[in-house]
Amino acid sequence: MNVLIKILAHRLFALAVLVGVGVWLLVVPSFTGRLGANPLEKLLHQSGEIAIWALGAVLALSPLRVLFPQSRIVAALNRHRRMIGVTACIYGLLHFGFHVLYEGGWDGLVRSLSKPFIWFGLTGLTILVILAATSNQLSIQALGGKNWKLLHRLAYIAAALLIYHQSIAGKGHWFVARWLLFPLLAVQLARVAKTFLLRKPRRLNYPAVYGVLSSPP
Amino acid sequence: MNYVHQKHSWELPDSAVTPEAHYLRRREFLRVFGFGVAASVLLPAALLAATGDLDDSLNPRFKLDGVKLTPEDFVTGYNNFYEWGLAKDQPKDLANRGWKTEPWTLEIGGLCTNPAKIDIVELMKLVGGIERRNYRHRCVEAWSMVIPWDGFPLAKLVMLAQPKPDAKYIKFTSFFDPTHSAAQRANDLPWPYTEGLTLPEAMNELAFLATGLYGKPLRNQNGAPIRLVVPWKYGFKGAKSLAQIEFVAEQPKTTWNEMAPNEYGFYANVNPNVDHPRWSQKSERVIGGGFFSGKQSTLMFNGYGKEVAALYMGMDLRKNF
Repeated sequence: MNVLIKILAHRLFALAVLVGVGVWLLVVPSFTGRLGANPLEKLLHQSGEIAIWALGAVLALSPLRVLFPQSRIVAALNRHRRMIGVTACIYGLLHFGFHVLYEGGWDGLVRSLSKPFIWFGLTGLTILVILAATSNQLSIQALGGKNWKLLHRLAYIAAALLIYHQSIAGKGHWFVARWLLFPLLAVQLARVAKTFLLRKPRRLNYPAVYGVLSSPP
Repeated sequence: MNYVHQKHSWELPDSAVTPEAHYLRRREFLRVFGFGVAASVLLPAALLAATGDLDDSLNPRFKLDGVKLTPEDFVTGYNNFYEWGLAKDQPKDLANRGWKTEPWTLEIGGLCTNPAKIDIVELMKLVGGIERRNYRHRCVEAWSMVIPWDGFPLAKLVMLAQPKPDAKYIKFTSFFDPTHSAAQRANDLPWPYTEGLTLPEAMNELAFLATGLYGKPLRNQNGAPIRLVVPWKYGFKGAKSLAQIEFVAEQPKTTWNEMAPNEYGFYANVNPNVDHPRWSQKSERVIGGGFFSGKQSTLMFNGYGKEVAALYMGMDLRKNF
């Protein structure tokens, strides 16, 4: 168990997984001719999928830490939140690059920019770029912890925009997007519920709780 | 080219007109049907294998000069067939795990004089065999193929069935088999898949019922054993693995139109001037066209304007998209 935790907590492990996903879903199929009938579309979709699932992973990790404070696995994975977030941004930028290629030129690109659908993606991606750029220690110091945290709450807005972007990207894409949205909502709601329930009795009924417990909380 | 015309007050809608050919051949079904039943009894069972031993040669009028056929691997490996998965490479796998498309009975019914439940191979013989046509295929998702279909004109089936005067539309219903199709069990879309055409559209010589492609029986992932092909419309109009063809008086509900009426119209004619809300329809990516050179301009009515534009005379194609 200790070995497993050590591996999970190691930066190299996180790096290997995050790069490995891209190698497995983008690089290997490209060089083995397994991108299928519409290769650019495949790269476009796969890179977008990796980006949004990485973002989903980051947003699931902090509520999981609140829900399972004792879990060493959750704690180990939580060490990688910054790296996973930056990864989401990088795959998002790749996804945008593939979109430019897929449109096949300036005309197509400009036409695509007339669609609100594209702007949901672009706005989400812009947020990810800002967050990735300010994900270093220097920025935390420059902004101050409170402001920095506030800024990085934008990740939730990015997620909402991007999951919507994903769910309307094609006929029936919602059926895929919901597998990300519903679990994410579930852990967030559970986190909020837990925080709320734990806080309330302490504040309002402190003497009563104190009376019941054998030692002060 | 401009296909939008002002409508005159004296113009009848096309749906009100009974096509002459259909009128002239209204008694044919009984004669041919009677012969067909006899033939199916007399013919050896070996003949009843899918597209089988029927004569099948390219109809020179539909040779489609100057285009490259999409490689067979791509036509049979890149499919939107949501009954068998959401990803385009899934149907090739999931539609071939024990789902039987042979033998297969098609039900022809509704407002027609000669309703029938008929075996597909028998039907192919009844309509006088099959032919090959190279058709452009344009998906609403802005990609395209060129496919050599084998089959017969839908008009032949319509003439056999003899629609009654109040039949204005044809409703096409795909198979419903939740035992085999996990997607139909999951119930994401309102199964079974349905599509529709106006009667004049169905009588157009381009409207086609395909039973094969590349000279072989349709693969399950392409809509075996029989599917609709309407080359001047977006691909989703081509309902696959048909279980029922019904003649109806009212415009039938169609699956994607029900799911998102602002995105997928009933007519769904290929039209580079009317965008999908989320992407442009001005151009299309040619499947098999290569990584960087695979884009081409989309043609009005997918290049079949000469044959079909008259069907939509006086219709606002922006409203009736």
